[in-house]
Amino acid sequence: MKCSRCLLQLWSLRPLGQSAWPAAHCVSQLQSASCSQPTVLYQSQNQVLRRFHSSPVRTKSRMPAEQQQKNKSLATIDDMFERVSDDAKVKDTFSKVLDGFMKRDVRRRGHVEFIYAALKKMPEFGVERDITIYNKLLDVFPKEVFVARNVLQLMFNHYPRQQECGLQILEQMEQYGVVPNIETKVLLIQIFGEKSHPVRKYQRVMYWYPRFRHINPFPLPQKLPEDPVELSHLSLSRIANDLSAKITVYQRPRTDVGENGEEITSPHIVGIQSPDQMELLAKHNPNRPVFVEGPFPLWLKKKCVHYYILRADPIPFEEKVEEPYDPERSFFYPLQLDLDLERDFGEYVTFDVEDVDEGPVFAMCMTGQGDQVALNQWISGLQLNNPILGRVPTLFRLNAGPRELQESGAGSASEKQREKHPNEAEPEFIDEEEPQKRQAMKP
Amino acid sequence: MSLTKMTRLPLARLLSSIHLQQQQLLPLLHPSISPITSIPRRCALHSEYRRPGKPREYKRPWDLRNFDFKKAVAVLKEHFTLLQSEVHDRIVVGPEGRPLIEHMLEQNRVVWEFRGPESLKEWTVSSDREIGGQSEISLTLGKHNTCFLHGTLNTTPPRDGETRYSGYCTVRSKQPKYSFDRKKHHDWTSFNSLHLRVRGDGRPWMINIATENYYTHQKDDLYHYFMFTRGGPYWQDVKIPFSKFFLAQRGRVQDDQHPLWLDKINTIGFTLGDNADGPFQLEIDFIGVTNDYAHTEEFAYEHYKKNPEVKSKLS
Repeated sequence: MKCSRCLLQLWSLRPLGQSAWPAAHCVSQLQSASCSQPTVLYQSQNQVLRRFHSSPVRTKSRMPAEQQQKNKSLATIDDMFERVSDDAKVKDTFSKVLDGFMKRDVRRRGHVEFIYAALKKMPEFGVERDITIYNKLLDVFPKEVFVARNVLQLMFNHYPRQQECGLQILEQMEQYGVVPNIETKVLLIQIFGEKSHPVRKYQRVMYWYPRFRHINPFPLPQKLPEDPVELSHLSLSRIANDLSAKITVYQRPRTDVGENGEEITSPHIVGIQSPDQMELLAKHNPNRPVFVEGPFPLWLKKKCVHYYILRADPIPFEEKVEEPYDPERSFFYPLQLDLDLERDFGEYVTFDVEDVDEGPVFAMCMTGQGDQVALNQWISGLQLNNPILGRVPTLFRLNAGPRELQESGAGSASEKQREKHPNEAEPEFIDEEEPQKRQAMKP
Repeated sequence: MSLTKMTRLPLARLLSSIHLQQQQLLPLLHPSISPITSIPRRCALHSEYRRPGKPREYKRPWDLRNFDFKKAVAVLKEHFTLLQSEVHDRIVVGPEGRPLIEHMLEQNRVVWEFRGPESLKEWTVSSDREIGGQSEISLTLGKHNTCFLHGTLNTTPPRDGETRYSGYCTVRSKQPKYSFDRKKHHDWTSFNSLHLRVRGDGRPWMINIATENYYTHQKDDLYHYFMFTRGGPYWQDVKIPFSKFFLAQRGRVQDDQHPLWLDKINTIGFTLGDNADGPFQLEIDFIGVTNDYAHTEEFAYEHYKKNPEVKSKLS
């Protein structure tokens, strides 16, 4: 230690010259051997006395170039994506950046940082659901370097940062619902080995995902239709739960230019009614009003649509009529059996619950514009098939926003009042009008 | 999080494999405004969630107790009446307070029926607000005295630097208790399916069943399955066999699966976490268990070898 310091002092006193080089070399070696001292920079020689395992030869020859490279490489990872983002953020440019990184260095220096940056940028480029891009991203990892070679390495986390990074890729795939394929598996095995954490994760994904892929009993298409009429078609047939229900398009969306040159947009109106509902409506007591209620929300994947229903209050107990079964309705089996058999508890298969009586639903509709004009049009359209609607008072119970299916508390008080006096002239109240007349009133 | 834990599947994501959702900006709609019946709080029975960066609080055990003589007398009275009715039910009437013939021959049982405000007291709600999220949930009575669960889901993660995902709302039944706070369990061994009558808005929910365990490290074990709602104005009957439930611990699906043991069921819960921001609603009429003779499956998930050979095509 001491001698090295002496040498340093001696040397620093010397004049500069060619003869200095061997001494400096010697000093730097001494220095690095004794280490822990702060490195000394010799401006005159353009040479750094490096720490332990770097050789002075390398230091001398590479120094300036590497410094530049380093500065650059720190910036590039984020920059590489930023630079291309000016022209177009598409899949092609994204994969071009990946290719660029792969070609830059055989050792793939800084690939973990690069992958994290790429993962973050994926949604911007619109490739977050693309399995080929994920595979390409996995391909950035150098192969067979991180494979554990013995039991001990396998037991402890071998190259944990890299494995975490690999897991992060798989996790993002999971988040966007991308199922890995065989290429992913081969890549993972090549990179991390057969019993590494990412491969384990891959196995779990492949075990569980196929089991839950088709459990939804109300499936929806991969991509929801853009057209509002088609979308309401889909959602109405979903909520009606009746294959015999008939869907009617009362009005298609269109934009007209009015007399004054202003644009009049008419929303779409699509309704659904099943034969059972028509039958129920035909039996409805004309003295009791029917209600148009809504809007109620319906979620289709991540999209929320709203629908309206035509319903009545539950039939009071004294008005309920037990209709005898028509024996000719089915010739194949009896619809009613009047056998007096001894029954015990083991044969009761229904739940002992009070039924919730909410009143019948007569029809459902979806419209682009939930105001009374559109809904009036729907009711008048319904009237063609259900003549009773001409005699039944129709009340509108509409809310501005989405709401619960049953109103509760303060909101219902005013409506109750309205129900009590249905014959009073109220703006919502529509009484025995001809459908033609009503349509004529509309713009 | 450790590597071994990260590799397990988060079960909420299993749903995302079902619907490859497209990112769509939907109009954020106002939820129906109604009084929140209970403040969202943690419904898990054991320990509180500690948010990242918050120091741990040490409290002496007697600080947690509230000693009060009046209260003690009232509580004692309540518990002794409970004990009396228990003894009477078991000795005079029959097992579980019902006649023996009924107990032996019953084919289905209504476990939770929502009729009136009393029935809501058996439930607790919770949302991601406790981890710093912004979802809201409230439990109220519907028009026909059914349970009406509504709120808004918000997937904005809390800004604590660690939490990456957020957005869940959950409701969970309370642990039933005998007198003197002894745990009471639901015994559903004579049934094989769960039966619910619900009315939702088209969103998928997750059903969580917690069973009694022996070891403390199993305290967060839950059995899960998914419930899909149709939406629309009609009630929907959902029947889920118990054989379909799978085991997960703290939201991570476990490798070592085994069937749900029905002899000691503690609680049941419903969780919404489908990554779709916006309002939601679910009405529950009743929750029951039934014996479905057509269903003979014991467990839906097969076992493979613990350390499977990965056949690589490389060499």
